Amino acid sequence: MSARTRQAGLVTYQGHYAGSASRFAAYVIDLVVSTGVFTLVLAAISYGVQVVAGHSVSWNRSNIVVAVIFIGWQFLYFGYSWAVSGRTFGMAVLGIRVVRADGSGLEPRQGVVRALVFPLSFLLCGLGFLGILVQREHRAWHDLIAGTAVIYAWDARAARLRFLARQAELAPGDGPPTGYHTG
Amino acid sequence: MTDPAEVLAQQITDRVVELVVNALDVNDLVARVDLNAVLSGVDFDAVLAKVDVNTLLDRVDMDDLIRHVDVGAVLDRVDANDLVKRIDMAALVEETDLGAVIARCSGGAVSEALDALRSQVVGLDRFVDRWVSRLLRRKLPLPSAPPALLPSQAEP
Repeated sequence: MSARTRQAGLVTYQGHYAGSASRFAAYVIDLVVSTGVFTLVLAAISYGVQVVAGHSVSWNRSNIVVAVIFIGWQFLYFGYSWAVSGRTFGMAVLGIRVVRADGSGLEPRQGVVRALVFPLSFLLCGLGFLGILVQREHRAWHDLIAGTAVIYAWDARAARLRFLARQAELAPGDGPPTGYHTG
Repeated sequence: MTDPAEVLAQQITDRVVELVVNALDVNDLVARVDLNAVLSGVDFDAVLAKVDVNTLLDRVDMDDLIRHVDVGAVLDRVDANDLVKRIDMAALVEETDLGAVIARCSGGAVSEALDALRSQVVGLDRFVDRWVSRLLRRKLPLPSAPPALLPSQAEP
């Protein structure tokens, strides 16, 4: 079997349990996006108040109201995303999604429960997230409580075909370069 | 003019043959023939070498033949997954216009960037998994996917 044939025969990871790097990267993206949107909304409100009332409003992180609204916004961001589609923006970018523990589609109720128990995994210095690394199914505390799991949802085989197609178009006659992971 | 003796002889012969054939149990006779011994003596290669396959095929109505084929039954016996696994996708994309079609149909820079990012992160996932398994001295392989998404159970 040639090296090229071996490459073509690689299996896709679609449907497999997602690993820690993918999940961490997705969470970082979500955190940046949700905080960015929250900040923009606060800035827009400040601007509106300044235009209408004529005085500026300053938002302080130590302000308990702002903190409560931010926490509520985080619940809304994650809970709504998981309940509606099983994935947040960051998860969509990384090509992963939340499913039920048996692999079937997530129920909206489970998405909400997952968002509610998500903070539990931060307890004891993030001990709950350790499950993503060491648990057999890469499930954190909030996954175990909500009865969920996270899987790769993107089709790596199709991605590989696109990659090969682009290489074929760019350099006709040359073989495709190696080193492309099929995830 | 035909010799009357010859005509008589012919009639007698026909009658005798008819009587003999009627008296014989042909099925029993055939059952006693060792067909394997007969066939083992036949040189099929020599027979086939004498056959003009093209002439034979010219006389076959392929449309009619195909109409008699139960394509569904044939496809049921084909392992499509095994068939797909045997395809050298890289060569297929490289040697046909399929690559251009895929490239045109599959978005542009964003799609390319996402594919690359996901590919790299999945590689990192595998790297971390390998090291964790090594540190935990795992001997049994981990479940790769939830039960409903395992290939053997997901397929009908």
